[in-house]
Amino acid sequence: MRLRGVQRYHWARDVDEALSLLSAYQGKGALLAGGVDLARSPRTDIEGLIDLTGLGLSYVREEEEGGLRVGATTTLAALLGRPETESYAGGVLREALQTVACPAIRHMATLGGAVVSAHPWADIPTLLVALDARGRWRGEREGKAELWDLYQKEFRRIFQAAVLLEIELPPWEGVGAFEKIGRNAGDIALLNACAGLRMSEGRIAEARVAVGARPQRGERLRWLEEALVGEKPNEKLWEKVKEEVRARIEVGEDRRASAEWRREAAGVLVARALVRAAGKAGA
Amino acid sequence: MKIYFELNGRPQYVEVQPGESLLSLLRRLGTKSVREGCGMGECGCCVILLEGKPVRSCILFAPKVQGKKVTTVEGLGSLDNPHPLQRAFVEAGAVQCGFCTPGMILTAYALLAENPSPTPQEVRDYLLGNICRCTGYNKIVDAVLLAAAWKGEGRW
Repeated sequence: MRLRGVQRYHWARDVDEALSLLSAYQGKGALLAGGVDLARSPRTDIEGLIDLTGLGLSYVREEEEGGLRVGATTTLAALLGRPETESYAGGVLREALQTVACPAIRHMATLGGAVVSAHPWADIPTLLVALDARGRWRGEREGKAELWDLYQKEFRRIFQAAVLLEIELPPWEGVGAFEKIGRNAGDIALLNACAGLRMSEGRIAEARVAVGARPQRGERLRWLEEALVGEKPNEKLWEKVKEEVRARIEVGEDRRASAEWRREAAGVLVARALVRAAGKAGA
Repeated sequence: MKIYFELNGRPQYVEVQPGESLLSLLRRLGTKSVREGCGMGECGCCVILLEGKPVRSCILFAPKVQGKKVTTVEGLGSLDNPHPLQRAFVEAGAVQCGFCTPGMILTAYALLAENPSPTPQEVRDYLLGNICRCTGYNKIVDAVLLAAAWKGEGRW
């Protein structure tokens, strides 16, 4: 436990109380869901922890039109164990969740925590950005935005004074696949990618591609998505995808991987995810 | 602050520090099977069962177990009456220094509760967060499969 200096622990009974406590600590309080990140935080200024797990935000609901609503304090293991997760977008949700850390961490970490922490190397933001997921929160007022958009803005400032309530996964008729490269099966990603395809009459009607841990957080490759529409999935297309991604993707280096390696691997990883998505779509 | 929880079936009403880890609390209470390896939630030596699910006690704030059931290896078996999983670890030669063993056994217990007849790969996938620096893992996998076979035979 690296977090030092905690003097009080509160079990918030409702969102109002959580926000009121957060405000009272004037920057020295922290909202706590699973606590996986917070426990490892080197911060020494946090005096109060506000536990959100009693707010009734642990649920998975399937919408009539096919989307999912997931409460922010739902653990990754709870989400993984639900049949709705298996069927959503060709099982991509399940695929990605299974690659996150290990069972003991997945029983602690929450979906909302992963969204708000939004580590650049994390798999969940890449997955959710590709799925056009939306976050709903409450601070001074209620807010709702698509995560890809939220991550472009000052989402960290927003969540300094707001509680994330729910993540919405809109209905989608496409299917997706998730790919990741790490040093071992339980490690964080050196690079991750999520791709989805919706087919119509043998051609790609809609494509979604997100790449994360570049080392920047997962973002959509809109230019590639547009270029794929109307194409027929085949070997030649995937080779072209590899080349284009290598040529155009923005990558950087950190202590874990070089930019050159990420550029090379990104082409392979995106193509691999697209091939699997196409396979699932029967193309 | 005081919290109430159940440890291996016994009620506990104890004083905790608000930022204390469950690992620290359990060791204070004498439950020494729960080990601190990395202290950062990476190695799996400190795994305990919270409401039957494996979690890492070194990064779990102790107040989070308020009103809940915590199980450690002491709650599964004893030297005189070991749990079949513990016996399987001995029989398969899956214990060397033993530091990681309690975390391995509890994680395996959770696996077999979810999936009573796992494949070798499923055992490896479930235990991937538990690090052992001695055995090379093969005998641990053998031990879990042996315990699963005994479970299938109705021996536990």
